[in-house]
Amino acid sequence: MSHWGATADASARRTPRSAGVGLRLSHLAEVVATRPPAAWFEIHPENFLANPHAGELLQEVAQHYPISVHTVGISIGSVEGIDRAHLARLRSLVDALDPVLVSGHLAWSTHEGAYLNDLLPLPFDDETLAVVVAHLTEVQEGLGRRYLVENPSSYVGFGSSTMTEAEFLCELVRRTGCSLLCDVSNVYLSARNMGYDPYRYIDALPIDAVHELHLGGFTSEPDEATPGGEVLIDTHSVGVAGPVWELYAYALRRFGRQPTLIEWDNDIPPFATLAAEATRAEEVASMTQKEARALAG
Amino acid sequence: MPSLADLQAGMRHAVTSGDATALGTVLVGGRRAQGRLAIHQRHYEASLVTALLDRFPATGWLIGSALTMLVARAFVRAHPPVRPCIAEYGAEFPTVLAAHDPGATPPYLQQFAELEWHVGQVSIATSQPPLVWSQFVCVGAEVLLGVRLTLQPGLRYVHATWAIDDLMKIYLTGSAPDLFTLADGDTWIEIRGARGEVRFTRLDPATFLFRTALLVGLPLGDAAERALARDERFDAAQALIALVADDLVTAITPEAGVEA
Repeated sequence: MSHWGATADASARRTPRSAGVGLRLSHLAEVVATRPPAAWFEIHPENFLANPHAGELLQEVAQHYPISVHTVGISIGSVEGIDRAHLARLRSLVDALDPVLVSGHLAWSTHEGAYLNDLLPLPFDDETLAVVVAHLTEVQEGLGRRYLVENPSSYVGFGSSTMTEAEFLCELVRRTGCSLLCDVSNVYLSARNMGYDPYRYIDALPIDAVHELHLGGFTSEPDEATPGGEVLIDTHSVGVAGPVWELYAYALRRFGRQPTLIEWDNDIPPFATLAAEATRAEEVASMTQKEARALAG
Repeated sequence: MPSLADLQAGMRHAVTSGDATALGTVLVGGRRAQGRLAIHQRHYEASLVTALLDRFPATGWLIGSALTMLVARAFVRAHPPVRPCIAEYGAEFPTVLAAHDPGATPPYLQQFAELEWHVGQVSIATSQPPLVWSQFVCVGAEVLLGVRLTLQPGLRYVHATWAIDDLMKIYLTGSAPDLFTLADGDTWIEIRGARGEVRFTRLDPATFLFRTALLVGLPLGDAAERALARDERFDAAQALIALVADDLVTAITPEAGVEA
């Protein structure tokens, strides 16, 4: 089943267990110039592949920090298949950076040659599973390494789904040997929007497959689908919400201390604000570890 | 139950047009799930419109942000990106922008927006170590005309019928005079950039054609012929010396099967 074990083990040895920060273009020059304290950085490769100057700076960053590559352009759920030209570009960046992790989303974004610049939802049924398994296998073979699949932020689902999202992810892990990136904020947001229990969702994920956690901010707005209600939007434009920190602590208790990323993609604040969020994630992780030790001893 | 292909076709239509009726009752989420598709539709449009406005700030300065945004919205609905790197999105925007309401916008709008596109592209380029003249000396004279030259990646050549580089310089330097008259007439512009820096150089037409031909990969002899056809006084040797002196050549490739 899993033929990515050796690669994954090597990466895991180099991957800091502490909190990293999403590296956006607006902070790139500052990071190169000042080398701020940060455990690791995660990048969206699509921001660098068509920007040679940024790619040059990224190579400098990679000499001093572990890098994780988090793609938004590999559309593993598109029925039309993987964009092989993009996969080849991604492979060359991955080869150049030798990142500690490579991840992407359980979503789709391409249709008949158009790239829709969003992470669109999938029905969770056997047809989708076959499509995603085939594409994920192609991606892992194309990149020559294990890929981490992130749970989506959901606003709608499909009545035709025959399994839950967590069941779908478990089956993906079983059939492809992929790992999981558990975006704790997405779990909370999707659970609120779709009406399920976020803690039970965390419980349903396979413990040994989760190798990274994400935390990001969301905003709320009136729900067009439910007058009087509200819907949470995955904007990554504010700090992490209180209930998500609680869910994060719960996820750490279940999955153990995992590399955790602070994501902030819109209304991007000074780098120090991101660093402060990463410090808070560290504090939550340390507190959770202490609790675990106290319980054990 | 619709197939995955049908669902994705319906969602694509909903996201790009805002019309979710094709999805019928297949969606769940809230009391009227179709309403929530507006979140995806809005994200698609807002993210790409923002990308276009970020890519064409000078054009927005020229014609106003309201018109630029209006056309950008129409553009993203009709022309979704074809690649996931959004930095590559928008090359066709100047054509669509200029066609929107030609009578109400400046006649040089398309040329100016195209110039801005190229400025954006070269400003994120890097530069490569240039060849020095001694590296040409070892190329035999009998094969010199067949070689192809690789030029710096941050080079573009734009032929305009207005002095749009002057207008762009005003925008880039923030030095708008009280009164500015944009000259019309053929303008042959070399744009060179790297790592955030951009520079414009006016060329004579023959040199422009020579350098443009080399940039697209024609052999040196063919590039010189194009220039000579434009101006019989063109001096290919001097043009080559100037090209090297400007640090624009980064590699020499001999004609296939011929040893340089």
